[in-house]
Amino acid sequence: MKSAAKYLAASALFGLMSVTTLSPSAMAQTIGPGGETATPSAEVVVGADSLEAIRGAGYKAALLWHDQSDFVNAVSAGARDEFDRLGIEVVATTSAGFDAAKQRSDIETSLAKEPNIILSLPLDPVTSAAAFKEARDGGVSLVFLSNLPAGYEHPRDYAAIVTDDLFQMGKQAADALASAMGGKGTVGWIYHDADYYVTNQRDNAFKTTIENDYPDISIVAEQGISDPARAEEIANAMLLKNPDLGGIYVTWAGPAEGVLAALRANGNKTTKIVTLDLSEPVALDMVRGGNVAAIVADEAYELGRAMAAAAALRLAGKDVPPFVTAPAITVTADTVQEGWKKSLNIDAPASVSSAQ
Amino acid sequence: MTTIAARLQRLDLQRSVIYLGFLAIFLFFAITLHGDGFLTSRNLTNIVLQTAPATIMAIGLVFALSAGEIDLSFGSVVAVSALSAAVAMQSYPMAVGVLAGLGAGALIGAINGVLVAYLRLPSFLVTLATMGLFAGIARSMTDLRSIPVLNDTFTGIFGSGSLFSVPSLVIWTVVAVAIGHIVYRNTRFGAHVLATGDNARAAQVSGIKVPRIRLGVLMLCGTMAGLAGLLYAGRLQAAKYTLGESDLMTVIAAVIVGGTALNGGKGSIIGALLGSLLMGMLNNGLILMGLDVSDQMIVRGLIILIAVAVSLRDASR
Repeated sequence: MKSAAKYLAASALFGLMSVTTLSPSAMAQTIGPGGETATPSAEVVVGADSLEAIRGAGYKAALLWHDQSDFVNAVSAGARDEFDRLGIEVVATTSAGFDAAKQRSDIETSLAKEPNIILSLPLDPVTSAAAFKEARDGGVSLVFLSNLPAGYEHPRDYAAIVTDDLFQMGKQAADALASAMGGKGTVGWIYHDADYYVTNQRDNAFKTTIENDYPDISIVAEQGISDPARAEEIANAMLLKNPDLGGIYVTWAGPAEGVLAALRANGNKTTKIVTLDLSEPVALDMVRGGNVAAIVADEAYELGRAMAAAAALRLAGKDVPPFVTAPAITVTADTVQEGWKKSLNIDAPASVSSAQ
Repeated sequence: MTTIAARLQRLDLQRSVIYLGFLAIFLFFAITLHGDGFLTSRNLTNIVLQTAPATIMAIGLVFALSAGEIDLSFGSVVAVSALSAAVAMQSYPMAVGVLAGLGAGALIGAINGVLVAYLRLPSFLVTLATMGLFAGIARSMTDLRSIPVLNDTFTGIFGSGSLFSVPSLVIWTVVAVAIGHIVYRNTRFGAHVLATGDNARAAQVSGIKVPRIRLGVLMLCGTMAGLAGLLYAGRLQAAKYTLGESDLMTVIAAVIVGGTALNGGKGSIIGALLGSLLMGMLNNGLILMGLDVSDQMIVRGLIILIAVAVSLRDASR
């Protein structure tokens, strides 16, 4: 559900404003709300020239998240570690539980601690425009995760947006599934049937990559999903019509668990699955040599580190790139330990480690 | 001294617990967060602003519980009302938006009321069902999209503005609590509500139109939730299907901690106000203390548990 929650937050307006450019060769990249080129997060670094000034300034930061999840924990950990390095105190941490009104209250409350920096995922571009106004007008260095309040302009209103490299996530999922299928066969495409920027970009990047880069693989079944709980019945119907499916792409790990259940119930050990974002049950099947071929994840810890660095650079008077993306990583049975650590900054669950 | 001691003995612990609890928690935060901005007028005003919609909903719920009914659907009403108003104001003047918002709340309250009062279905089950029904309708109304509210007069009156430097949400809170308190304590309707909740059969025999009272309290609950929806829409300058979703437990806890009996016949509007402010103060203070989110939830849950336990334990004596 981590991913479902994340997607709900990364909602429509940013999607309307942002564009993923696609070409026949599937070489593409995500560009920012004002058409900005994505800057790799590795380039957003507080150098020695700014470090001492920042450390001596006594800056304070607030982490105002949309929800709680292992993804948010990893982003927070990345931000906190970077803030520690920079001598910046984290004075407030909140979770809005996907409640736009609570997010506004959290912002107001945290402003009593007079933070110089706010890192946040605006729940919704429309509702968050008013919510962040007071902080913006007060000169707080704002760095947003994945979403942008409507009408906010860089660099006047915010320091940076940091997000996943969405196109790469979908593309790497396609590459991983194609590799597992030996570059040929039929595929089922289970996409998120909703107007959400993050999932739409990733799903479409998968489809485009298969269609353009793998001529011997054809997508023979397409089915949207809006309720992850219905994944099993959707997969059952798909398998009934296409019993020889070589692979299934599932939009994120929550519904992938349902698809896995359907494959097991059918005694199917040959159809490969790829999905996005780490999940213990899905990873367990992968390391046990089951249907799951690969999981593509984002580098949540790196997202947090880059957010903290961008905010501090802004306070130091440095130019900050407006649109920053953290890389995607493909996790397979062989790389599950490193992948988990790199994505979420925690060890892989014991069940996954012991099954290897 | 004897008089004071006698008065203290007569002191109703249940009625006092909210005042004592409120004071204790306020003092605790005032002392521990002395240098962290808790006592600034800005922060204290924020607490009132942030709790205004919950306070408005709590007033409606006091009437419903006092009549021996419950409304679980008011969180969904908030979203339907806010979206109705926002959508209406895209094409029509502000008055139409306000009427749409309040009307949606009153209509849903009336549906609940008819099912409970005239078909004699339990309000718990009816409003549990309509909670889901209208949550679904709120989601489908705009395909999950948020609707901006660009009418400055509306946002000024319902959330973002002020009159003589007093924020409009503070005014709404004071006016609603004052009217609610007077109606609850000093009108025939208020007396009939309490009589119905205390013993519906006896109330019926004594000439009170019990079904009409039941319909009335549930319509009032819906209308107050509708007003809360307008306040959210004004404050956020937008409406979204998630508005009000997380208020159900907060408002019920505020009302119970404030001294309203779950099984009817007893309640307090002022208590509900203090209960609501208490919830807001807990959220505010625990954030300013710098606790991480999980710890905030644990501490808040424990404090509410203690407050509710003290309230209900004394009520059962």
